[in-house]
Amino acid sequence: MKALLFSDSVAQGNQTATYIRGKMDLDMAVPSELKEKFTSSGSGRIYSLTGVLNAGNVGEKISEIFRTGYDYAFVDSTILGREVAGYLAIALGSKCVAEINSFEVTDGKARTRRYFYGGKTVLEEESSAKLFTVAPGISEASVAETKSSTEEVALQESPVKVEKTENKASTGVDISSAKILVSVGRGLGKKEGLQQLEPLVRALGAEFAGSRPVCLDYQWLGEDRWVGISGKKVSPKVYIALGISGQIQHIAGIRGSKVIMAINKDKSAPIFEECDYGIVGDMYQVVPKILALLK
Amino acid sequence: MVDVIVLVKQMPDLELIKPDPSTGEPMVKNVQLRMETLSENAVEAAVQIKEKHGGKVTAIIFGDAQSPAIMKKAYAMGVDEGFVITGYTGNNPSYTARVLAAKIAGIKHDIIIMGNQSADSISGLLPGMISRLTGEPLLGNAVSVQIDGGNARVKRVLEDRDVTIMSKLPVVVSVTQETNQPRLPPVMQILAAGRKPINTEKAALPPEDYTKILSNRAPKSERKKIIFEDVDKGVPELAKVLKEEMR
Repeated sequence: MKALLFSDSVAQGNQTATYIRGKMDLDMAVPSELKEKFTSSGSGRIYSLTGVLNAGNVGEKISEIFRTGYDYAFVDSTILGREVAGYLAIALGSKCVAEINSFEVTDGKARTRRYFYGGKTVLEEESSAKLFTVAPGISEASVAETKSSTEEVALQESPVKVEKTENKASTGVDISSAKILVSVGRGLGKKEGLQQLEPLVRALGAEFAGSRPVCLDYQWLGEDRWVGISGKKVSPKVYIALGISGQIQHIAGIRGSKVIMAINKDKSAPIFEECDYGIVGDMYQVVPKILALLK
Repeated sequence: MVDVIVLVKQMPDLELIKPDPSTGEPMVKNVQLRMETLSENAVEAAVQIKEKHGGKVTAIIFGDAQSPAIMKKAYAMGVDEGFVITGYTGNNPSYTARVLAAKIAGIKHDIIIMGNQSADSISGLLPGMISRLTGEPLLGNAVSVQIDGGNARVKRVLEDRDVTIMSKLPVVVSVTQETNQPRLPPVMQILAAGRKPINTEKAALPPEDYTKILSNRAPKSERKKIIFEDVDKGVPELAKVLKEEMR
């Protein structure tokens, strides 16, 4: 069996490639500016897409490449990826099963799992679909022994013109590849609270992350640190949730974590149902005590 | 004048879905349906375009017997005409897209607006599908939409950057939750909406096979759930685990 994967995310692309290459042969299609980032992904060939990418021209090109002899197409679930997958489903006349976090082929049918109802349930499905979008964190990325060959592929010019690009005020951090995350919620109370938590982040070699209100509504942290089902899905070794109540949309973004710790003043916060270790208490009092023992 | 089609999804109120304690399966049968979160933003965006440029807003819901209540909300927010297409089977994006596209083909429009990714199924496939089926370019994940001189211009939010993109009309636009604050219609408009006729018709295409659902259950949490109410007992335990994981 042979698979084609489109990804425009370095972190997700390497995770998904690691997962798929254990099951079948793999080639990838990626934006040309990222082609160097996938040379150890284990894909035989990398199609380097040149031009301005959008759903239409990428969808048509992937459809064209797929028809040269692939069994399955996977698309990483990013903003562009989901658009490409929708376009591609129609172009290929294939069903598309979205947001999968597990994939097996049994008797020629694909068995997949995904979250449904905003993360409240897990849907296990069997289908004849050839196309799938892959949720972040399907596996831990690892480096493959084999090296890939690269082929340049020019995209068609698009009717959609890009007039302006503004890079987001980001620290260049990709929280989806962080080993330890210190994640803050509404319970932080004020932006300045981050300074008091910084010693812990430094001691752990961690990164800050946050819930929807912290990253989008109050903007205490950048949007690129937002964890949740519509934000980033993360799978660190330890996820430390500080002052996060644990709404289902947030929980669905952290289920891939190895260990989840929670500190929250509210004993009845739903996060305590979804953590390995929890302390009922004020994060500003608990964190310095933990820090003292780490040193 | 700019004519807008807005695609509206209905979904069960997620807060009200509880798993059956014995099977873990979600109990959705008697859960009330509501307008999907991002569809509210899409309706608001469509009505704002009409208020600025004139024209007509047509809403389409692919739904069932409960859909007229949701269409009435769209009317109260400012939608001019609504079509309810019955026969929605749920969780089959390409069938949904084909049924919607078949209806769209018969309605004069300059722009099709929808939510980017619905809050219940979170698939996010419809915008790309509708774009391919209509042949109209997609301006996706928009936080703002402007129309001028036969062009649409949107600010598109990506993971690491924001881009301003434009295309000639007609276009497909998908919007995010940050694009606007959906209005709460005044009582007079809600009452007027209740009296306004809704067009109901059957889906133009026969139902399609999609996937066979093997199970749909609340995930079992395998977390240890060791909770300390005594901070001084909890701190050493958390510190110990952290040290182990840092190695």
